[in-house]
Amino acid sequence: MNNMAGTLDADMLIEGRLSESARETPATLDAFLAQVERRAFRMAELQLRQREDAMDAVQDAMLRLVKHYRDKPATEWPPLFWGILRRRIVDLQRRRKVRSIVVGWLGGGHDGNDDELPAWDPADRGPGPLDQLQNRQSYADMAAAVRQLPQRQREAFMLRMLEGLDVAETADAMGCSKGSVKTHLSRAMHHLRDQLEDWR
Amino acid sequence: MTSSDKNRPDNRSDKPLEQRARELYHEACQRIDPVTAGRLRAARRQALGTAQAPGHHAARWLIPTGAFAAIALATLMVWQPVTHDAAAPSNQTVSMPDSSADADNELPPDADKSDPKLYQNLDFYGWLAANAQNSQSANR
Repeated sequence: MNNMAGTLDADMLIEGRLSESARETPATLDAFLAQVERRAFRMAELQLRQREDAMDAVQDAMLRLVKHYRDKPATEWPPLFWGILRRRIVDLQRRRKVRSIVVGWLGGGHDGNDDELPAWDPADRGPGPLDQLQNRQSYADMAAAVRQLPQRQREAFMLRMLEGLDVAETADAMGCSKGSVKTHLSRAMHHLRDQLEDWR
Repeated sequence: MTSSDKNRPDNRSDKPLEQRARELYHEACQRIDPVTAGRLRAARRQALGTAQAPGHHAARWLIPTGAFAAIALATLMVWQPVTHDAAAPSNQTVSMPDSSADADNELPPDADKSDPKLYQNLDFYGWLAANAQNSQSANR
């Protein structure tokens, strides 16, 4: 019963408080996951471009955090969670790359007219991620620009700028030094400044 | 300027870009469709439920228990031959070679395998055997 009440509280936490609560670390794991689940999904979706893959990545990251790190102090959950999610996204990207190579060897990627065959990945028939956004074009522009970034620069930008982790937490999540985070982020910002010139 | 601000690599011209990107990101997060939000909620509950399942605690003890059992078995196997060797001299008694083996084998018993006390008191055993035969013939 308490668990149910805690879950309801955690669900209520999401509504309308996403932006303010981005940097607060809740006391319970349920509340923490409720706070980050949507952001995690958006982050995974932005990098993987597939809603189902993004859902898998978030679900797996949640499971691993609960299974292995639930006894850790609450302040350590954010970098741990984002680090797990980052690795999961990289895994899925690698798996997809290998899969596309194998499909290419088997001749399954193109038909005789060089048209892309949709045979391998199931079609993503869910509502589009941008359908319900008021400013969908701006988000689409940003998402396109972020996707063009190299992997590490993209991770640094998303964790540091969008998610709001500090440099140390970003370094923990990315598994690199603080200096590397700053370098990746600086390059990412330079690239995005050029790409999103209209915003300024 | 706070310490977190110091870590930011940006200059002032990046501020609007950062702010706009963050706003769009959070707006997109809030506007996730209800189906996806429900699936995320279900995934969270499943993750938390997995941790609270009773099987989890059993599995937690499975590896240490198995390791302890393996170590105990290995210790037992290593220890047993040593105890046998150590116990062998204490159980040493005067033992005669197996008579059935003697009957099958015409060769004399191997001196290394036989009880050395038998050879030390060979005269006594000879006298004992002769006396036994004499007493048996006298009884008849």
